[in-house]
Parts: sequence; structure tokens; C-alpha cells
Amino acid sequence: MTKPEFVYVTYIETTAEKLWHALTDRDFIQTYWMDCILTSDWKVGSRMTMERYGELKNECVILESDPPRRMSYSWHSVFDPDMKKEKPSRVTYLLEPQGKTVKLTVTHENFADGSKTLPSISFGWPMVLSNLKSILETGRTLPLDAPELAATETAHMRG
Amino acid sequence: MRKPDFVYVIYIQTTPEKLWNALIDPEMTKEYWWRHRNRSDWKPGSAWSHENYDDSSKVDIIGTVIESDPPRRLVLTWANPAKASDPSKVSRVTFDLHPLEHEVRLTVTHDETYPEMLSSISTGWPAVLSNLKTMLETGSAMPMARESRSLK
Repeated sequence: MTKPEFVYVTYIETTAEKLWHALTDRDFIQTYWMDCILTSDWKVGSRMTMERYGELKNECVILESDPPRRMSYSWHSVFDPDMKKEKPSRVTYLLEPQGKTVKLTVTHENFADGSKTLPSISFGWPMVLSNLKSILETGRTLPLDAPELAATETAHMRG
Repeated sequence: MRKPDFVYVIYIQTTPEKLWNALIDPEMTKEYWWRHRNRSDWKPGSAWSHENYDDSSKVDIIGTVIESDPPRRLVLTWANPAKASDPSKVSRVTFDLHPLEHEVRLTVTHDETYPEMLSSISTGWPAVLSNLKTMLETGSAMPMARESRSLK
């Protein structure tokens, strides 16, 4: 049986340096990450918080940082009481330049069986990464409508 | 419920009609899908094939249209032509086009695969669908997408 995990690969017409900046710059992140504010100095051992509309959603700790190639952090969702009881999972970004594009692989793993965080992040990552690709390639984000944005926080309830 | 073998979700700023056309129009697929075309009349029960745009004798994938509900849902069987007579080697692909106010959420589900097929399509879909999104949003696919490439 395969371990419960989420893997998403996307190819973006950009450079590894620009993509790294897009993944770690607080103001830039806010433009494409569904109104979330990610705050950290992105150094190994540092805390990273994800807030939305003033509410803390996820608490993270930077585990690896090798700009502009690889980043890893722990992820603990605290906006739902059941998710809050789960052990932290782990996110890894891998940036691999290929000609004029960068292959970005996001792996989110170390979930317990029956994790409620896994369906939630499985809904959220494609939206965040589609939006990231759009803003880097066109300068514009996707005008996602409110119900779709709100659905990321209820995806775990639909099973 | 059992999880499907492969699921990929991507949001594209376009309309369901344009996205549906991009999946079946050879002039579109040749731009973002390794210079290939998808040939069929897209009616349920009809055959379809994934061929080299310039040389239709080079056929990579063959199958049958199971469901066709433009511009919402397309279900196809998907097999390597050399193995298509073995039912255990015939996989199934579903395209679900879910319209939002300003974009479409495309979900590609590839199920009933076998290990070799799963490995090939898990590498292929993210590249093809990234290129499809770029083409529809910027007007041209990434340079890599126009190279002629065959499935192993």
C-alpha cells in the first residue's frame, strides 16, 4: 500500500531564482496564495506562520533551505480541532530548471492514516500552484471566486 | 472508496468551451501536446487515437470514447496499441471541466493503470497540462511543448 501523501508537479516558464523569490517573499505570496500571509525569515529552525484574515491557519517550522533549489518545512494545521490533534506533516519544494522552464515538485507527506489535513491540502495546493504559475507567466493571478476559495477550508468535511 | 491511480487538478483562466476545443482540436494539441493530435469524431462508442501530428502512422495511444458531454465531461479508454488486446492493459481517463466564474477547474483522472503505464502517465500529465494552461492563458505554449515526443 502506498503511504498517504500528496505530490504535485508543475512546469513554469520562469527562472529558479524568480520562483524561489515567489515562494518566499511575503508580499508576493499574498498576491497568489488565497489571501494568506506567510511570515518567516525562511532560515532552518525558524518558525513560519500562515494567516488568513487575521486568523492563524497553519504553524510551520523551516527544516531545510537551499536556495534556489530545495525547501522543506513542517506543517501543522490549527484552524480545525481534529487537524490540530494531528502530528505535523512535511512539505518539500524541489525546483529543477529545464531549459526556459522550471519543474516545481511539491510533496506534502508524513500524514497519519485517516488524516483530515490531507484532503484539505489536496484541494488547496492545485489552486495555489495554478495561481503561482499564472502570475509568473502572465503577471496576473486567477480571479478565483469566493466559494471556491472558501472550499479549501471545508474540503476535509466532504470526505 | 478506493483512490484513483492518478488525479491532477489545474485551474485555467478560460471557458469550458475553449478548454474542450483545446483537448480535441489538432491545431491546438500540436502546440502543447508534443506535436500530437487526438483523432476521433468524439461520439460515445467511437474509436480515438493519439497520433504524431505530421505522421499519422505513428500512433502512441488508442482507445474508445466512453462518455462525451461537451463541454463538461469526456471519458476515454487509453491503451498502448501493442497491448490494447489485453483488457488488463486498457486504462481509463476522465476529463472533468468544472466552470467557475472566471476560470475552469480541470480534473484529469487516470485509473485502471498498470505500473509501467502509471509511471509514464504520472510524468506526462503534469507537463502536458502545464503546457495547456500556459497556451490558453498566454496564447502560446512553452517552447518545450512543441517538440515532437512519443510516449515510451
